[in-house]
Amino acid sequence: MKQKDFFNIQRLRVLQYAAYLAVALIAIRLTDIQFISHEKYALAAEQNRTQILYQTAPRGRILSAKGETIAGNVPSFSVYYLPGSQKVDDAYLSSLSADVASFLDVDSKKILKLLNKGTKSGKAILIAQNISPKRAFAFSELQVYYSGLYLLEETKRDYPYGAFAAHLIGYMGTMDNKFWNKKDENTDYRLNSKIGKSGIEKRYESQLKGRDGGLYLEVDYRGRVKQKLKDNKWGKGADVWTTLNLEVQKAAEKGIKNSITGRGAAVVLDAKTGAVLAMVSAPDFDPNIFISYSDEEIPSTSKKIPEYNLALQGMYPPASTFKTITAIAALENNRLDLHDHSNCKGKIFMNGREFKCWKTHGPNIDLMEGMAQSCDVYFYELALKTGSASIEKIQKLFHLGQKTGIDLPGEKSGNIYGPSKRARNRTYWFAGDTLNLSIGQGELLLTPLQMAVYGAALASKGNIYKPYYIQKVVDPQGQVLEENKPEIIARAKLEEGHYEIIHQALKGVVDRATGRAAKVEGVDVYGKTGTAQNPHGDDHGWFLAFAGLPGQEPDIALSVFVEFGKGGSSAAAPIAKEIIKAYYGVK
Amino acid sequence: MFSRENNHSLKRGPIDFVILISVSLLALIGFAIVYSALSTSPLGQSVFRTHLIALPIAAGAFVFGWLFNYQIYDEQYKKLYMFIITLLIGVLIFGVTQRGSHSWFRFGLFSFQPSEICRIATILISASFLERNKRNIREFKTIFLLGIILLPVFGLIMLQPDFSSIVVSAPALIILLFAAGVDLYYFGLLFAFAVAAGFFPIAWTYLGLNPEIARNSFIAELILNLRVNIWYILGFSALVVLACWLVKQLLRQFRIEIPTALALIVSGAILAGFFSGLFVEKKMKPYQRKRVEAFLAPKSDPKGASYNILQAQIAMGSGGVLGKGLFSGTQSRLGFVPERHTDFILAVLGEETGLFGTLGVLLLYLLLLWRTTITATLSSDLYGYFVCMGIFGIFFTYLIINFGMLIGLVPVAGIPLPFVSYGGSNLVASMWAFGIVESVYRRRLSVV
Repeated sequence: MKQKDFFNIQRLRVLQYAAYLAVALIAIRLTDIQFISHEKYALAAEQNRTQILYQTAPRGRILSAKGETIAGNVPSFSVYYLPGSQKVDDAYLSSLSADVASFLDVDSKKILKLLNKGTKSGKAILIAQNISPKRAFAFSELQVYYSGLYLLEETKRDYPYGAFAAHLIGYMGTMDNKFWNKKDENTDYRLNSKIGKSGIEKRYESQLKGRDGGLYLEVDYRGRVKQKLKDNKWGKGADVWTTLNLEVQKAAEKGIKNSITGRGAAVVLDAKTGAVLAMVSAPDFDPNIFISYSDEEIPSTSKKIPEYNLALQGMYPPASTFKTITAIAALENNRLDLHDHSNCKGKIFMNGREFKCWKTHGPNIDLMEGMAQSCDVYFYELALKTGSASIEKIQKLFHLGQKTGIDLPGEKSGNIYGPSKRARNRTYWFAGDTLNLSIGQGELLLTPLQMAVYGAALASKGNIYKPYYIQKVVDPQGQVLEENKPEIIARAKLEEGHYEIIHQALKGVVDRATGRAAKVEGVDVYGKTGTAQNPHGDDHGWFLAFAGLPGQEPDIALSVFVEFGKGGSSAAAPIAKEIIKAYYGVK
Repeated sequence: MFSRENNHSLKRGPIDFVILISVSLLALIGFAIVYSALSTSPLGQSVFRTHLIALPIAAGAFVFGWLFNYQIYDEQYKKLYMFIITLLIGVLIFGVTQRGSHSWFRFGLFSFQPSEICRIATILISASFLERNKRNIREFKTIFLLGIILLPVFGLIMLQPDFSSIVVSAPALIILLFAAGVDLYYFGLLFAFAVAAGFFPIAWTYLGLNPEIARNSFIAELILNLRVNIWYILGFSALVVLACWLVKQLLRQFRIEIPTALALIVSGAILAGFFSGLFVEKKMKPYQRKRVEAFLAPKSDPKGASYNILQAQIAMGSGGVLGKGLFSGTQSRLGFVPERHTDFILAVLGEETGLFGTLGVLLLYLLLLWRTTITATLSSDLYGYFVCMGIFGIFFTYLIINFGMLIGLVPVAGIPLPFVSYGGSNLVASMWAFGIVESVYRRRLSVV
């Protein structure tokens, strides 16, 4: 037998093919890892080696209609210690910590502990954040002596006017779990990112938030800093242009806050568009306190947030302002003769019950006088002539008892009231109810916002607007992301000349009677006071108004409500006057 | 049976250039990659120096292997055997401990690991033994005797302990036996042994990872008890023997006669496997168990043992097709890849030279394996054939384990990639091995 006969060539072939197969499988898998899944691994490698010291991007501004900044940004600084670039010893670290501590007003032992941790691990350590520019400026001197210190500029929300339209603007705070879990994967939120918690800040969070920048450090597998890779500039957020008029808002806030109780609401609308020029709800809050510098002291008691927005969530009887509805109902039903007179003896009797007027007005009370003097007896008699059903119809014509549709959470719809509503609830309607209805008392409830929308409808002779407070959202490149146009929901059409009669009556209120406190020289002001009876305490004061330059269409419509203000003419009308003066720039 | 492979044997030529070029290229690539991998490490300079010393020695080993007549290993196989036994005993007495193994001779500037040489020598000795018993190669006695001969070698290596040497040598030996034409029946036995030896440690580790299975399953609890309770072990042994006898009886019903001895041998193989598994289980070090766990459940421990594999894969994947360039791999430079100049050198290669680099090295390896099998067929004698197939077995095993570990095919075994990884002893031994293949090639025309 020859040697070669022992060669087992078949077995050799099997092994050869096994080797080819193994190499092919390995090659396929290598192609998978290095070619097909390359991007996934490249990203992982990049994340592995970079540590990012984030810089919060400047949030988009919130601007008034004319472009004044209501919510802006101010610089805020973070202090990092980057070890590794210099030789350190204990003496160096303790002198560094003592200096840092004296600049930051903190315990030097705490700083030393942080520094030691950083030196030992080689990782970049955050020593302090949210430092005010004043402190940071002083601090920057330290950088000259200590090369490991790194001052990172960030930005922080700032509200230059403090508690200014606070319910509308909202405030910022740290995010909760719910937000974190639901956030868009493409956004760069971090666990300590501040987000809008209410108002515009919340509603427009995605547009306002910019793209955070950061200092990219290369780190090794233990997180030790090797070098600075790049300094990514942040991208600013988009600006939100509101419809607010800075002067009007200021005047309205000042008025409400300086009223006898300091509680209430005011809504000012553009009578030609329904844009919100001002919206006040007091009590309010200063949004600055939730985002203060770490070196500022804020008493914790001031951090309570009155989230309740009285302007759209507070419901009150409209009181005498409602007499306009009664008058319109009577006009529309031809039950009102401008020459008819009532004789006000201070009260009338209905089914044995006494219904009072607030004052004995005497004889010769016609519509103009009844409106001007807010004579209850005149309207009792008018209502009895007109009938409650038609009054109820006019309420619906003006969309009372319906949400105005403003883009704000939690708006209340109010409550209208009348015989058909009663019938639906299977209770009876009495003549006395008609009397109460005619002067806006009883179960009838409106919000200050509804009142202003109603005022704008009177002013514009029937346009029921959907109020809006955002003009547009514009990104830093100037591109308009979102724009709001005036929207008329419905038209309250009255017969020819009836609006003019109401306007004349309301002008009389301001010119010579209960609304005199709202009279402004050089401006035609139309208004109606209201005093809502409050069984639980002092009465509430209302003032419904609109105003225009003489001989021109009214420009603004407004409602002022002072909680427990005792009276419309005393508490609310003077505030309306300040608002109108602010709008027209009258000194 | 034998067919002439082309007409290589007729061509005159003292050396196979494919092997020579492949080996040289691999060594050059390895040199560059190791230098790049360690360029930022404090180890860098000393490793570089050692590598510089190892390269000419390795080249010398190749030339020696090539010029030296390989048939002399066959003639002097007893002396070779005594030589490696002496080396292995010597290292146990005079050696030093590095990386947990007492397996290094230290000579001033460099150290030397004799088990690398023994790996090749084991193949040479086995080939010699098989060649001498070529007529009885299908008999059990032959394999049994080979086992007896090699037992001291493996035993001494286990004493160091150098498991990675066993992990490469054992499969290489099996491949050699397969190529030598040993009955497939023995591979069946070996398979039974390996399954039993592998099943139990893996099952124990798996049940350790998932205790709730053990609580709910009667069988799982039995398996766990087998690890500790002597009565369970005895009962299990009896059960295995009984089961084999029952199978024999059952097959008899189908008129398939099996000798009783065979049934006993099968049960013996299973039991031997079980006890080997038990031995491995008891001897397994915590880090080795971690590797098995990481292989069984790669996601369970992202910062632990599977972390290494993941980081290596990130390194390779991030290299893409073209790679990040030498000295530019972040994963390796910043220390994310563990053992980056030895076991995980491929990850560095993949990161810095991309798919071209890894496929290139794979291709060079394929060329080496292919030419080695061709040389085996060209060999002028059976010994040369066996030697080539044994060396093929060694490097095929290296290839499977080193690449397989990186792509998640096999557990991390701590095996370097010859020629490319840093390691002077391994480089010298590998060069010598292919020198021997060249020697077989050179003497393909000589008449026996």
